[in-house]
Amino acid sequence: MTGPLLEVRGLKVEIAVPGGMTRPVRGVDFSVAAGETLAIVGESGCGKSLTSLAIMGLLPRAARLAAETIALKGLSLIGLSESGWRRLRGERIAMIFQDPMTALDPCYRIGDQMAEVLRQHRPVSAEAARQRALELLTRVGISSPEQRLTQFPHQLSGGLRQRVMIAMALLCEPELIIADEPTTALDVTIQAQILHLLAEIQRDTGIGLILISHDLGVVAGVAHRIAVMYGGEIVEIGERDAILGRPLHPYTEGLMHSIPVPGETRRGETLGFIPGTVPRQTGELTRCGFLERCPYATGRSAAGPVPLREAADGRLVRCVLPLDGSGRDPAAWTRQAEGV
Amino acid sequence: MASIASATAAPVLALSPGRVALGRTLRHGGFWVGGGILLVILVAAILAPLLTAHDPTWQDLGKRLVPPVWDARGSWEHPLGTDQLGRDYLARLIYGGRISLLIGFATVLISGAIGTALGIAAGYWGGRVDLLINFVLTIRLTLPVVLVALVVVALAGNSLTILMLVIGLLLWDRFAIVTRSATQQIASREFIVAAQAIGSSTGRILFKEILPNITGPLIVVASVELAHAILLEAALSFLGLGVQPPLFTWGLMIAEAKNQLFFRPWLIAVPGAALVALIFAINLVGDAVRDVTAPEGRA
Amino acid sequence: MNVLEVRGATKTYDVGKTLVGAGRTLHALRGIDLAVRKGETLGLVGESGCGKSTLARLILGIEGPTSGNVTLAGKPVGGYGRLERAKLVQPVFQDPYSSLNPRMRIARIVAAPIEVRGIGTASSRRERVRAVMNAVGLPEHFTEVYPSQLSGGQRQRVAIARALVGEPEILVCDEPTSALDVSVQSQILNLLARLKRELGLTLILISHNLAVVHHLADRVAVMYLGRIVEHGPTEAIFGAPRHPYTAALLASVLSPRPGARLPEMRVGAEFPSPLAPPPGCAFHPRCPCAGEGCATIDPDETRDGPRGYRCHYPLAHA
Ligand SMILES: Nc1ncnc2c1ncn2[C@@H]1O[C@H](COP(=O)(O)OP(=O)(O)OP(=O)(O)O)[C@@H](O)[C@H]1O
Ligand SMILES: Nc1ncnc2c1ncn2[C@@H]1O[C@H](COP(=O)(O)OP(=O)(O)OP(=O)(O)O)[C@@H](O)[C@H]1O
Ligand SMILES: [Mg+2]
Ligand SMILES: [Mg+2]
Repeated sequence: MTGPLLEVRGLKVEIAVPGGMTRPVRGVDFSVAAGETLAIVGESGCGKSLTSLAIMGLLPRAARLAAETIALKGLSLIGLSESGWRRLRGERIAMIFQDPMTALDPCYRIGDQMAEVLRQHRPVSAEAARQRALELLTRVGISSPEQRLTQFPHQLSGGLRQRVMIAMALLCEPELIIADEPTTALDVTIQAQILHLLAEIQRDTGIGLILISHDLGVVAGVAHRIAVMYGGEIVEIGERDAILGRPLHPYTEGLMHSIPVPGETRRGETLGFIPGTVPRQTGELTRCGFLERCPYATGRSAAGPVPLREAADGRLVRCVLPLDGSGRDPAAWTRQAEGV
Repeated sequence: MASIASATAAPVLALSPGRVALGRTLRHGGFWVGGGILLVILVAAILAPLLTAHDPTWQDLGKRLVPPVWDARGSWEHPLGTDQLGRDYLARLIYGGRISLLIGFATVLISGAIGTALGIAAGYWGGRVDLLINFVLTIRLTLPVVLVALVVVALAGNSLTILMLVIGLLLWDRFAIVTRSATQQIASREFIVAAQAIGSSTGRILFKEILPNITGPLIVVASVELAHAILLEAALSFLGLGVQPPLFTWGLMIAEAKNQLFFRPWLIAVPGAALVALIFAINLVGDAVRDVTAPEGRA
Repeated sequence: MNVLEVRGATKTYDVGKTLVGAGRTLHALRGIDLAVRKGETLGLVGESGCGKSTLARLILGIEGPTSGNVTLAGKPVGGYGRLERAKLVQPVFQDPYSSLNPRMRIARIVAAPIEVRGIGTASSRRERVRAVMNAVGLPEHFTEVYPSQLSGGQRQRVAIARALVGEPEILVCDEPTSALDVSVQSQILNLLARLKRELGLTLILISHNLAVVHHLADRVAVMYLGRIVEHGPTEAIFGAPRHPYTAALLASVLSPRPGARLPEMRVGAEFPSPLAPPPGCAFHPRCPCAGEGCATIDPDETRDGPRGYRCHYPLAHA
């Protein structure tokens, strides 16, 4: 294999708001290989969605994008024309959103919407488009697909709609799929099924998958690698089991200790938590962005911006603490004053 | 999202949503222009006796149709000249504005009260109440406003009170439509259920929980209807079915001058321009309020 | 003693009704039996649309049941005046962005329940508000700010403070942490656990997140399409579910541990419509264990010590 499927270097997004400039994404680097699932996790507002929208060229108009590299198999996506984007989206990169109801057009039948997407990119007959739609609805595990083709989005349940979204994303056999919180709006039993489906499709087709979620549990079963975002930066990125097994960035550690797990945490015991909230992102960072909320923060955290460093197992961590985990006490997460 | 950085944050300033909106209004250009004109007209109407020494109803038949000062034959004694009965036109303009504004504000109070009450009731209770109020609203919308006003005034006579009541009873539809949908939106929010659960009376829910949350759209509608009512009164007066002498408004002044249109155009131009300026100012202020309140500012 | 009892409660809604047309009947609750002892935490779990929030509204007395009855402290909810009822039971809602009036200062929001009941003087109420805000971990200077200036977690604390200020017996929390980040969720869970311990609160905890319910609840009731299909002590239910639906819910908990695998879901995906509940056991179209009779005979509750379930073919446990 020659080079990664998607390469992102120095991705920055700035948005002008009344009274200044926010910087929701401030220098993000990652890459996704073909056949790989990269999960991006982090709290609400840490820039996950804007990162994915930047890759799709779908940033809100008020946003300004700056990046050294955004390249799909060597093709630079920076400054692509609108028609260039149209050829690319759906055809080579597809996106699955959190709320399928807003992404599907309520006025058109499922079959017509799918055919429309396909015929934008491929010179196929209406009948061939229908066949392809049928094939994919079957592929994503929808029963009686013929009947579904003639239904409107509001006639389907949330889980079915999300399956339709996945089928639509697969229509043109893209090389990369970005799924932004694909299961957040779904019930737990259906969530597991949709994740299964995504993982299975990814394995079968060898596409690259970026899975965005705020829930570490969601990504644990699907991701190959995990990138943890905080305040518009990646604070830890590496192999899934390494990160979940021994988080090195205090933020990742704090997230892991916040989650009650039946059978592992005792009932009613005090859970860990991260005090405070994600600060508003303005200006350049002059110190560790997590400092105010970190129980381990030292004088060195405030000395200057913290670069990503490589730990022994190859993962990258943005922290000044020793990267072997020595000198830490995870119980710190439960001992803090209940911050508001 | 986060407006407070951490537990150690300095005390947060208590900026009420109302005060934030006010601050934004004060930075709105249209508000200053419209508000300025409106203020001048209001102050003139209130301080009328201080601004002119003339009695607006005093007839001086020896001084009929004196042209205004900008005409070669005009004088500073009657800056805007006199009308066909020799009454000072400036005094009539100032005093006439009083009645026009009185009718405007009074009818907006009446129609606002009716429309808001109906709209909130329909939006809050929904179901049968909503269907019924919608039915009444539909009937009201099928009535041509000017025609109905003409008929009622022709039948019931045209005292100032009747005029205000008729216009007030006719112009509540927009209030009802806007408050109904605004109330529906607010009533579906969980703080209304919370208010029910703490045992709040219905009155408390309607007036303390819902009403403060729909003032933005209400002010906008009120500005539109204020202009609407003033124009409607002018139209009725022009047709001879508005206020009757010795009362007079800008509409009546225009009506009385219509025979002089070609020979003494200022008699129409002066009250006409005042009317245009007033409506323009009201609309500017209304637009400013809408700009400031419409996109519910995300903190 | 049971502070809350629900007996055979049903709730139907007429949907699509016009001035003339009759519309259709939506069965939101189809016979709920429930008893909650004082000081106990009951967890209610189930999929979206199964009627959890409807049940909460019946308990809060905001709506009445279509049939059956809901009794609070031995008396039907409908028999209380609105102020008496407010003294007994208070809600905390899911979305802290919509559960606080954006036009009111925090102090007024928190004081509203005692103000409405006319308890104490203005200054004693201020004192009480300060004490409650302190108890839920809100600093004093927040009294004069507006909800838009607070974060989600802070707002949820305000909502909890408002619910507690009148010292109710029962707190009904409808998805109190679903709208919050995990780091904030754990703070709210800690707070609820502490309040429960210190104040002896009776808590009804509604959630679709089983980990949350497991963490706080003493007993769990699993709802499916307007029915309670299994209930019992938390440890028993989580340790050995008897109803296949409970087992499916438990299997769907995703653990953020290394080597975690995606759970195998063997239940069908389609949640049935409450407009036309399936005949027999409502779960049978999705059930991996469905057998003879499931499609026709509605299972009665089988009692087994402190627990009970409605299933013709319950899962066996060694
Ligand atoms: N159009 C916009 N205008 C101004 N600020 C914006 C806009 N879109 C996003 N932001 C801000 O950018 C930051 C990052 O947003 P983003 O949507 O990427 O977060 P996220 O990580 O996807 O969060 P969530 O989990 O809530 O979806 C947030 O603080 C948000 O308020
Ligand atoms: N006022 C109403 N009118 C008509 N139908 C209603 C009404 N309230 C609830 N329903 C219906 O009753 C059923 C149960 O709703 P409920 O809100 O209790 O579910 P829930 O278990 O709380 O779901 P969720 O997890 O999504 O909050 C749903 O099908 C819903 O559409
Ligand atoms: Mg997002
Ligand atoms: Mg609910």
